[in-house]
Amino acid sequence: MASFDRRRINGPEESRPPVFEDDEDAEQISVTPKTRKGRANKDIRPIFLTTGLISQANGSSYIETEKTKIACAVYGPRQIKNAPYNEIGKLNVEVKFAPFSCSRRRAPLRDAEDRSISVLIQQSLLPSLRLELLPKSGIDVFITIIENDGVEACVASGAVAASTALADAGIEMFGLVTSCASAMVEEEIWLDPTAEETVRARASFTIACIPALGTVTNIWQTGQLTAEEAICCLEACQTCCRDIHNVMASALLNSQAAKCS
Amino acid sequence: QKQLDPSVFQRLHPRAYLERFLSEGIRPDGRDPDAWRSVSINVGSVTTADGSALVRIGKTTMICGVKAEIAEPELDRPECGFLGNYINGNKVPNVDLPALCSPRFKPGPPGDEAQILSARLNEICVSSEILPLNSLCIHPGKAVWVLYVDTTCLNYDGNAFDAALLATIAALKNTRLPKATYNEDTTRTICSRKVTIPLQLQSLPLSASFGIFDSSHLLSDPTSFEEPLLETFITVVMDEKGSLSSVIQSGLATVG
Repeated sequence: MASFDRRRINGPEESRPPVFEDDEDAEQISVTPKTRKGRANKDIRPIFLTTGLISQANGSSYIETEKTKIACAVYGPRQIKNAPYNEIGKLNVEVKFAPFSCSRRRAPLRDAEDRSISVLIQQSLLPSLRLELLPKSGIDVFITIIENDGVEACVASGAVAASTALADAGIEMFGLVTSCASAMVEEEIWLDPTAEETVRARASFTIACIPALGTVTNIWQTGQLTAEEAICCLEACQTCCRDIHNVMASALLNSQAAKCS
Repeated sequence: QKQLDPSVFQRLHPRAYLERFLSEGIRPDGRDPDAWRSVSINVGSVTTADGSALVRIGKTTMICGVKAEIAEPELDRPECGFLGNYINGNKVPNVDLPALCSPRFKPGPPGDEAQILSARLNEICVSSEILPLNSLCIHPGKAVWVLYVDTTCLNYDGNAFDAALLATIAALKNTRLPKATYNEDTTRTICSRKVTIPLQLQSLPLSASFGIFDSSHLLSDPTSFEEPLLETFITVVMDEKGSLSSVIQSGLATVG
């Protein structure tokens, strides 16, 4: 039920997403395939990452991993108006879902899911930035999710895109932040799960870390996991993060080379 | 006299900067005053949407996605899926200019510019009759399609209206609706995942925007640097048969 938003063109009061005939058949299928289809347990989906797509911003990046597409822009450091003096710079992360990004249309209003993803990404990025060098300033990171394939993938890819955009903007940092999601399906750890795989899993585990320093900046775990399993997931994700770090570094080097030539 | 770096001069005296270029008959990005930036369109990239298009005019980037939902039609127009009401259409076009696309926009509810763009786009959609009224009807009086056409700007470098209209038309052309059957006994509509029908567009309105600088120069397709310096904007919308759909002009205008 859409509420009347006077600032936008409104549709009918109530409209429902289409119901498909196979959805009604699919619920009866209880046999789930045991092995992952398409890739090995420890393989992540190929990442496409470029910077500089948004010319108006100080730094920007675009990441695409199969079905997850995220654009990120960084504005800053810039002055914060009407705020008391702050000795350490402020990092503000805002995430927005495009209305066509999910299988069911999302209203353009921001809700709790946007904000919880923003908080997770902000927590991932905060330890890596040298904000003490930027008094009286703020850094704005705007993330738009163009296509969404699972919340964990959004959080992970969003943090990767944000860190790349911050580096593209020239903001000083201790190291690049990489992030990876994993899911516990029965007894196996599957890295970089899609939305369907996450639904079947009993737990999901997403971490963000700085491979250059070897520190972990954020852990987000949902579901039931024993402590040993959690540590196995942590180690699997950290190994994967080093590969993602190479992808980010080469994307940044390519864009700098393109700028200089 | 001390020489200024060109980029510093551009920031301090934008008007004088533009005047010097135009006196030589050229614009700051190298184009002639009546030249257009190159346009590139990429359709069908967003799989969660029923139709999508990514349009680039120079550096201005707009992405548009179409989502179809089912609703009950209005009582006085049982076959029309909603078109007709001047404010609403059975296409609900919306343009969003998020804070991501330019430092001018702050995060929050849509500002003036986004609301104006949405309203103009809606007017064009209603007046050009892009879709025949009955094509979105599933069952008269019970179920019709509603198309939500949402355009998001990713990079704002001037001329947002042309890009938004182009993205909307391209996304609608790319849209495929699932075949829907209305079951009278259960009063539910079931759609098929396998059979999809493309939309039949009746007309393709396209727009061209111009600005007038200093009452003497007509610049086509202004960039975001030139826009604040122009006192008048003119947008002409025509369809593919060459008939005029709409002319919008804003600002002080005296053309000699």
